[in-house]
Amino acid sequence: MTIRYLKRHAALEGVVSVDEAETLAQWLLKQKHPAVHLGRCEHLHGAVLQVLLALRPRIAALPDEPLLRGVLAAA
Amino acid sequence: MNQTELLDQFVLEARDCLEAIGHRLLQVERDPHDADLLNDLFRSVHTLKGNCGLFDFKPLERVVHAGEDLLDRVRSGSLAYGSELADALLEAMDYSARLIDQIEQHGHIEPGAEEVSARHAAALRALLDGRPVAATPPAEPTPAMPPSATAAAGPAAGSPDWLQVLDAALLAAHPGAVAVRYQPEPGCFFKGEDPWRLACTAPGILGLAVRGQQPWPPGEDQAHWDCYQCNLELVLLSSAPQPYLEEHFRCVIEQVVCHVLPEAAQVPDPGGTVSAHLLARASELWADQLALLARRPIAPGTVLSARRTLRNLLAWTAPAADAARALEALPDAAPAEALLAWARALVPAGAPPEPEASASGPAASEFDDPLAAAGPADGLRRAEDPTAGHHKVLKVAQEKVDRLMDLIGEMVVAKNSLPYLAQRAEEVFQQRELAREIKAQYTVINRIAEDMQHAIMQVRMLPVGTVFQRFGRLVRDISKKLGKQVQLVIEGEDTEADKNVIEPLADPLIHIIRNSLDHGICMPDARVRQGKPATGTIRIAARQESDRVIIEISDDGAGVDPERVRDKAVQRGLIPADRAASLTDEEAVQLIFLPGFSTADTISDLSGRGVGMDVVRNAVERINGSVQLSSRKGQGMTVRLSLPLSMAVTNVMVVESAGRRFGVPMDLIVETVRVHGDDVHCFKQARTTVLRGRIVALRALNDLLDLGAEPVRNGDGELAVLVVRHCAESVGLLVDHFLGASDIILKPLEGVLSGLTAFAGTALMGDGGVLMVLNPKELLS
Repeated sequence: MTIRYLKRHAALEGVVSVDEAETLAQWLLKQKHPAVHLGRCEHLHGAVLQVLLALRPRIAALPDEPLLRGVLAAA
Repeated sequence: MNQTELLDQFVLEARDCLEAIGHRLLQVERDPHDADLLNDLFRSVHTLKGNCGLFDFKPLERVVHAGEDLLDRVRSGSLAYGSELADALLEAMDYSARLIDQIEQHGHIEPGAEEVSARHAAALRALLDGRPVAATPPAEPTPAMPPSATAAAGPAAGSPDWLQVLDAALLAAHPGAVAVRYQPEPGCFFKGEDPWRLACTAPGILGLAVRGQQPWPPGEDQAHWDCYQCNLELVLLSSAPQPYLEEHFRCVIEQVVCHVLPEAAQVPDPGGTVSAHLLARASELWADQLALLARRPIAPGTVLSARRTLRNLLAWTAPAADAARALEALPDAAPAEALLAWARALVPAGAPPEPEASASGPAASEFDDPLAAAGPADGLRRAEDPTAGHHKVLKVAQEKVDRLMDLIGEMVVAKNSLPYLAQRAEEVFQQRELAREIKAQYTVINRIAEDMQHAIMQVRMLPVGTVFQRFGRLVRDISKKLGKQVQLVIEGEDTEADKNVIEPLADPLIHIIRNSLDHGICMPDARVRQGKPATGTIRIAARQESDRVIIEISDDGAGVDPERVRDKAVQRGLIPADRAASLTDEEAVQLIFLPGFSTADTISDLSGRGVGMDVVRNAVERINGSVQLSSRKGQGMTVRLSLPLSMAVTNVMVVESAGRRFGVPMDLIVETVRVHGDDVHCFKQARTTVLRGRIVALRALNDLLDLGAEPVRNGDGELAVLVVRHCAESVGLLVDHFLGASDIILKPLEGVLSGLTAFAGTALMGDGGVLMVLNPKELLS
């Protein structure tokens, strides 16, 4: 229940904890076209949210959870 | 300074702060507009908060911080002080005192204090915004305006710009909702906090937006960016009441700012008929206020109330941009004319024409804004209090002073051995010269020792005000509980008396005051019917009279009713009925000093719980004082305490009985006399004799102390009788020998021995022996 790093995007699933933020940031910086898929994401830690807002990857799918969806859609 | 010393110092200073704060709070309640008092109060609270911060006592700091914010508003004039505020602050300070006690005992605050402290803090912060603005449009002038200025005038307050992050439609759809801006500190992730989660789980959440506090790093800098330094800013909208949100964010409350959306729409829709109606009504009200202000004479309260109404109405009219500001610029006590001038200049569109048609010149020129005076007090004035500069004050621990006093006492006694030595030198060692020199030196040492004695007695003198201070709070709380209005007047609080005399006084005084509050002073309407002012007065006056301190507690209540006292005394079997009838009214009033007396039919939880006036009298007499009571029925009662000025040296007569030495305080002795055995009349067990034409009962000291010997007769067959004053009569104590008078320092018995009431205490004699000093009153009872 964490991040699966696939060829084209990183899939965040379930509950993403604080430790993953650093790894995700490094991975996104290395990608030519960074993208994340949040379709199965239930909750993520504030640090992870911060990474997404700072590095602004392409969002392949928005999460279902309304508050998170609202924030990521606006970003 | 190591940790424990630092902590002790903190506890001491915190207690001082709290005491000063408590005192000031009561003063401020009487005088809510005294700027000096408010500033002083704020300073104390601020100091306390600072000290708490040093030690990371978070629950304590939270409560004190909330109090500080509240007081800051009060002293800057944007929040009115009222009894609600006073109650909340006093409670919060009481709670803080309890926390300090915990810290003193355990070195830290007990777990579980978080909740309670957050409640207190929330209660205080809730008062910051006053009651919510009225939901219904002002159909009539609203005199009951919420105390805070921020929540009231909608457009005048101005919404903060961070509010724009939220969707405008969302804001419009929820008037009266609470917007919260949460800016977590950068290191919060390392503390294990998740601000996002905290924000998501806020109660009543309607919407949430997130952005960066600082701009996110651009392309090249991203590689060096630390994703664990929190840069998030979260803004949410919630339908929950503000205290609930503050409770939710209690652990990070300093990082959170709340803003309550105005209740009603800012500007009414000009097209609608409903709003046109309201606008017309608002204009009518405006004209009403103008008419009101034009009346002569006009009371200041009316001016204030009209001003409030006009301010409220601003929300309903379409005002000129700086109208509200011009209103605020008027000084608080602006006269009616100034207000009238401003209001006329702003007559809203569609208002009915005003009878006096003057459109006086631009309001701005008339009152030129001497705003500087009304500005908030400049920061924390560290100006020295001018009177305190003249004599320096030291804070000394009580044990040090007591130790010094003990040492000086020993010195006083030790010096007494010198004359004895001189005598031995002359008689035993035939050294007359040496004896003379010893005596000469003794006079020098004697003088110095006596000066030291006086000096230490001065050090121990405390102003009686220190005991009286706490009564202010007592009177306030109890009078509120009973629904009576009572004011406490204290006079002569600088009068000084010995520490050991003042401290035991606290409880008797509290009892006397409670008596007055409970039984003496009546309910306000009853007092008014009797022609007295509705507020009762309890007066405590202290003064010095030669070597005594006189403390009088008087009230203007109902006084003691001699009839009731008589009846109750007879009822309780304390005095036979015929004797009761033969007492004068003044004597009857004194009956309340009898043990077992209490006139309250219902034992309230205040007095009448078996702590009678007899206990008070005992406590006072134990410190060599006396109590007198005088009362006039329907007019009030006065209790007069007479106390010794200091526990100085006591003069005693030393006697010997059954081979042991005893001392008897000189002020109780009537005379010493030798009575021939034949002049002693025995009747059953009692012995009496006739002295100066009166019959005097004789008691053998050996019997009283159970020493098992018969009094010794001297060579002429005479018995040594020490006549002492007991109650109102004289009693003769049979002893063996009189050994002379002596000055001693009387030390009361302590610890397990303090139960031996037959002895007033002990003293060290010049030859090193211990003298037991008798308490004849207890001995003979």
